[in-house]
Order: sequence, then C-alpha cells, then structure tokens
Amino acid sequence: MTLDSARFSRRGFLGLGVAAGVVTLTACGSGSGSSDAPLLMTVWGGDPDRKTYQARIDLLVKKHPDLKIKLQLIPGDAYPQKVQTMIAGGTGPDIMQVAESVNTYSSKNQLLPLDDLAKKAKLDPEQRFGPVGSLYTYQDKLYAIPDRSGAVTVFYNKDMFDKKGVKAPTADWTWDDTLDAFKELTVPGKVWGYSGAEWFPQWWSLAYQNGGTIIDAQGRPAVDSDEVVEALQWAGDLVFKHKVAPSKADYADMGPDIGGDQAFPNQKVATHANGFWVMSGLTKVEFGWDIAPMWRGKKQAVSAFGSGLAISRTSKQRDNAFKAIDFLTSPEAQTEIIASGQDVPANLEVQKSQAFLKPAWMKTDVDMGVFAESSEFVFRAPFIPEWNQMQDVISNGLADFWLGKERSAKKALTALQKDLESLIKSAG
Amino acid sequence: MATTTTPTPETPSAVARKPASPGKQRLSRRRRREALSFYLFISPWMIGFLVFLLGPMIASIYYSLTDWDSFNPPKWVGFDNYVKLLTDDPVFWKALWNTFYYAAISVPLGLVLGLWLANLLNKQVRARKLFRTLIYLPTLIPLVATAMIFRMVLAPNGPINDFLGLFGLSGPNWLLDGPWVKPALILMSAWGAGAATVLLLAAMKGIPRELYEAAEVDGASATRQFWSITLPHLTPIIFFNLIMGLINAFQIFSQLYILIPKGKNPAGYDAAQTMVPLLFDQAFSYYRMGYASAISWLLFLVILVFTVIAFRTTRRWVFYETEVK
Repeated sequence: MTLDSARFSRRGFLGLGVAAGVVTLTACGSGSGSSDAPLLMTVWGGDPDRKTYQARIDLLVKKHPDLKIKLQLIPGDAYPQKVQTMIAGGTGPDIMQVAESVNTYSSKNQLLPLDDLAKKAKLDPEQRFGPVGSLYTYQDKLYAIPDRSGAVTVFYNKDMFDKKGVKAPTADWTWDDTLDAFKELTVPGKVWGYSGAEWFPQWWSLAYQNGGTIIDAQGRPAVDSDEVVEALQWAGDLVFKHKVAPSKADYADMGPDIGGDQAFPNQKVATHANGFWVMSGLTKVEFGWDIAPMWRGKKQAVSAFGSGLAISRTSKQRDNAFKAIDFLTSPEAQTEIIASGQDVPANLEVQKSQAFLKPAWMKTDVDMGVFAESSEFVFRAPFIPEWNQMQDVISNGLADFWLGKERSAKKALTALQKDLESLIKSAG
Repeated sequence: MATTTTPTPETPSAVARKPASPGKQRLSRRRRREALSFYLFISPWMIGFLVFLLGPMIASIYYSLTDWDSFNPPKWVGFDNYVKLLTDDPVFWKALWNTFYYAAISVPLGLVLGLWLANLLNKQVRARKLFRTLIYLPTLIPLVATAMIFRMVLAPNGPINDFLGLFGLSGPNWLLDGPWVKPALILMSAWGAGAATVLLLAAMKGIPRELYEAAEVDGASATRQFWSITLPHLTPIIFFNLIMGLINAFQIFSQLYILIPKGKNPAGYDAAQTMVPLLFDQAFSYYRMGYASAISWLLFLVILVFTVIAFRTTRRWVFYETEVK
C-alpha cells in the first residue's frame, strides 16, 4: 500500500514535471514586448564597443527624445547562439547587428526588408556608403544598413622599409612589385616580408583582383576558375615557395595565439594586410609604421570588414527602429566610431572628414585617407545563406594547402569546388 | 537483517496488518510528514531536473524528427535525419570514429596511469604529501589554462619536440598535422590522471593491513600482493572511474574548442572533430536544430550501450567486499 502510493506519487511528480517543462518551453514563444517598450538593440564586442554604441545611442536620444533604446552587448563568440535563442524564444531584438551571416537570417525570413523604409526616410545607401551600400542585399532586397566598414589595408613597418631601401607600398603595386618587395624585406628565419595570405578576406582579395569570383553571378561556386587558381597559387607560393610569409608552423613557434596581428607589432613581419583593429596593437610600438591601400592585380579589389544594422521581422516598432538606424548611420553619430578608435565608420562622408583623418588618439602620422580610397574598390563578397558552412568547407578544403602538404592550388580548388557544389546544391 | 537496531517497529507491523487499521493511520501521519520533508528538500533538484533536463530531452526527441532551423516552425520529416546521418553523412561517421579513438585510448590510459601513480604514492617515500599535491594539481587548473599551456608545449619547436630531438627524433606538428591531433588530445587527457589517482589512493588506504600481513607471512611477493590484494579491492573504484571516464570521453568538447579552434586551425579541427563539436556546429552554426537533436540522441544511445556493457560485465571483475561477507 505504502509502496504503491509512493510509486504513484513519484509517477505523478514526473508527469507534473513534464507538464511544467512543456509549459515553460511553449511559454517562451508567447512573450514579447509591448509597443512602447524601449527598442532592444543587440551588438557584439567587448567593453570599448559598449561605450561607443552607448555614446551613439545617447546622441540619438538627445536628438529624438521620443526614442528609447536598450543596448544589449553580447561577447562575439556567443552572439549568433544568443540571438538565435532570443529569436526562437520570441524575444528577438528590434535592431540587430549583422555581418557576413546576414542572409542566414534573411533567407529564413527573420529580417525586415528595408527598401520601403529607406525610401520613405530618403536614405540612399549608395550615396551614403558607396559600393558597400548594397552589401547586405539578398534577392534584390535590402536587409541591413551598413554601419561599420573598413577595407583591408596594408600595414607596413617604415623602419624596415627604410633600412632595406624599399619604397613605401602603393595602390599601384602589381603582384610582381609586391613579391619583389617582400623578398627584399625578408631575413630568413627572423623577419618575414609579409603576413596575411591565408585568411579568406586576404586571398579572396587576390582572387577578385585577378578577375575571379568565389560564387558567380548565378549563385554557383566558381573557385576552380583559372583566375582563382592563379591567385591562390600566388598566395600559397608566398609562404611555401618564396618563404616570404610565415607558415602556420612558424606562427606556432612564435607563441600561442600569434598571428599576423601580433607578429607585425613584434617586428616579425615587415608588412601585414588586415583590418582596422591591427592599429589597437600599434599605439605603443617604438618603430614607425603607416598604412597603404592594397596593391592591385589585373584590377583593384579588396575585402572589407564591417557590419550592418538590421530590423527583425518580429519588431513591433519598425518605424522607430528605422528612425534610430537612420540616425546611427548619419555623420553625426558615426563620428563617434572613429573618435573612440573603435572601428571605421561606414559613412563615406565621415571617412573623408577631418575627425577621421586626424583622430585625437592617433599619436603618429598615419595616412587615414587610405580607408576612403579603398572603399571605392571594395568587392562584394558572396554572403550566401550557407555562409558558415561555406567557410567551414573552404577552410577544411584548403587546410592541407595552407600546411604546405598540397602545393598545387589547382588540385586543392578542384576538390573544393566539388564540395562547395554539393553544399550549395543541397542547401538550395 | 532480522535483528535490526533501528527503532522502526512500524514497518513490520504495517506489513502484518495490511488492511487499514487505526495503528496505520497514526503511523502514516509521521511517515507522511517525513515524505513531505523529503519532497521539500529534493524538490529544487527534481524541478531543475524535470524542467531543465527531462522536458528539453523529450522535446528534443520530437525535434530530432523534424527539419527545424530554430526560427521557423519545425517541419515533420519522420526518421529522415537519422537515415541521413547513418547512410549519407561521412562527417558523422568520421566524428564517431574520432570519438571512439579518443575514448578507447584515453580512458584505459587514464586508469592505468592513475593506478600506477596511486601505487607509487602509497609507498613510504619522502615528501609523498608534496608529490600527492603535485599530481592532483593539474586537475585544479582550469581547462582553458591547461589548453593554453599545451598549445605551447605541443608547438612545432616546443618542449616536447625539443625533448624528442634529444633522441634524434624529429617531432610532428602536433596540433597542426592531421594524424597527430588525436594523440595530442589524448596526451592532454593523461595530464588529468590525478583525479583518478586521488580516488584510487583513498581506496588503497582503506584496504585492511592484516590482509597484507597474512600475505607476507605466506611469502607473497610485492607484485603478488598487488595483483591479489590491492587490485581486487580497487575494482569498484576502477569501475566508477571507467564509467565516468567513458561518459566524459564521449562528450569531449571544450578541449577541442580551445586547443584546435575551428577558425584558426581548420586542419587540426577537421582531423579530430568529435561528436559534440559536430552537434554544436550543426545546431548553432548551421542552424540545423533537428539534425543536431538527432545527433545528440545517437550519441546518447552510444553512451548508453557502452555503459550497459560495462555494467553487465561487473560480475566478472568487480569485487565488492560487502558481498562476500
């Protein structure tokens, strides 16, 4: 009897718990903010990013006292998972920061097309941001307004260039000029002429300079074309044939977590191509340095790093959210991005402004005009919905190439093309 | 059993007078109070288990039978996810193989090492307390720090390869070179053998001295004593470590995540990808929640099978002193 009742209550308890579990799961789906709640804006980054975003929001609220924005900063690694959970739980952000994986969301019907709102607000992205203005379009609809956008630039160690008598890099350097300079600057085993060949924004720039594309206009992978093969081979040869750029093994020997961004400030490499953030490691260095635009191939092309601001489809206050985005990407608010040294603002007017060219925190004379110059020839990277898988497939497919085990770019890319075709077919 | 000393006469009496009786009424009130406080104290854990574990587990069975991107409503696809995983996904089989490889070597290695260290520490050596601390210390270091240290230790020109160089061997690029990544992970797991050592050492201390004295009188050698007395007494602890080790090994995640980050070291990651990282990628990077749920249930089945096998064989090799008496 006692045993029976105990068993019954245990079962009852279990049932109750299951019910409670199901209720909590479903309850998540129904909660959402009312229409006069503050707008929720999610961004990624660390504490300096929080300060900059908050400063811009403060400017916004000063100008439009009717708008309220709650900023939620999420560490970069956890951002996609966190936003995914928030959206799945029905409490998605109104304004969200997006980047390369923007179309993961837009293709899944999670973002609001912004064309009509932009037209109504008289915001012309092409005019405000240059070629970057259409970066976040998918199937002819605009899904995010560019917010931060800095091209890859060439950082170079002036002292090393002077010592070797090499002229400063320019946008007119050809691949041959570039290779000659790197060879000149290399001191075998001690200093490498260049770092920054193997990350996708770096070698993709070369591929587009050579007239190639990663995904063609029809949305098909095109990495086995002669143009891409030639570009990758050139990049690979920098590391393994000419040995003017460190290999992975060379980096690993410099210490844990050392890449070009750390090797350049430590004077292990003479030039380094990467984004704006490299500067944060250069504020205290003893040597002279400057930046230059990426060199050219058959034509000029360069990757840009950046992010945009999008409105989630579940947002109850679309007009207010757009009003906020419009202001946040205006010159007034964008100036804050460079004033704090956070990043390159996407707004071209700001990139050319005095505030950008001579930021107060910059101790040395750096040619900041390079960013506006480079913005003119940023190529449009293929932000396909399967972006994350594509990145994994590419980095796996080229792993042996960047280890120097497979020296032929042709072979590596032919195999990669097949993998990409099966990915993009199955996803389509 | 008959001469129980606990003051619980109500149990036999309740059984004896099975039909309802005034006596039972009075006693069961006390029992009820006891039961109430039992549920009161267990409920935080129970509610946590039911709401945060069992509920989601049941939900994930459903999701594993759907195509779900976590944003739009799930689409029912029956067993498609399982069929695709088992017949049409080479990455899944590779990850399963990598997981087996890791578990099959790291678990026994950890046990043998633990046993060996415990046996050494049980001897009357000078400064053995210091050694005990040193051997347990790695377990206390956060995994992130351990992984950072191992990245340096396993660097192409790091200390391990320098050491191998002394014997004229040129060491591999441990974390970069495909076939060497798994051995590197196993090497790192062996560094944590101290946790098992402490448990085994405690069990060794609990073995009655007189057994050894008797064995000595009978002329048994130290080796013989180890095999015939020490080891049998340790089997319950070994068994415990085996089960926990198996479960942990099958779920290895953080080590990979830190030691061979996908973004920075794709070759290493590709060569050593195990089940949980695969599941994580599918769920949170590719937005295929349904597929990821199916992977997690297959992993659950794999762990279950191995745990059941381990339990089934206990009669043959695990020795419980209490059962003999």
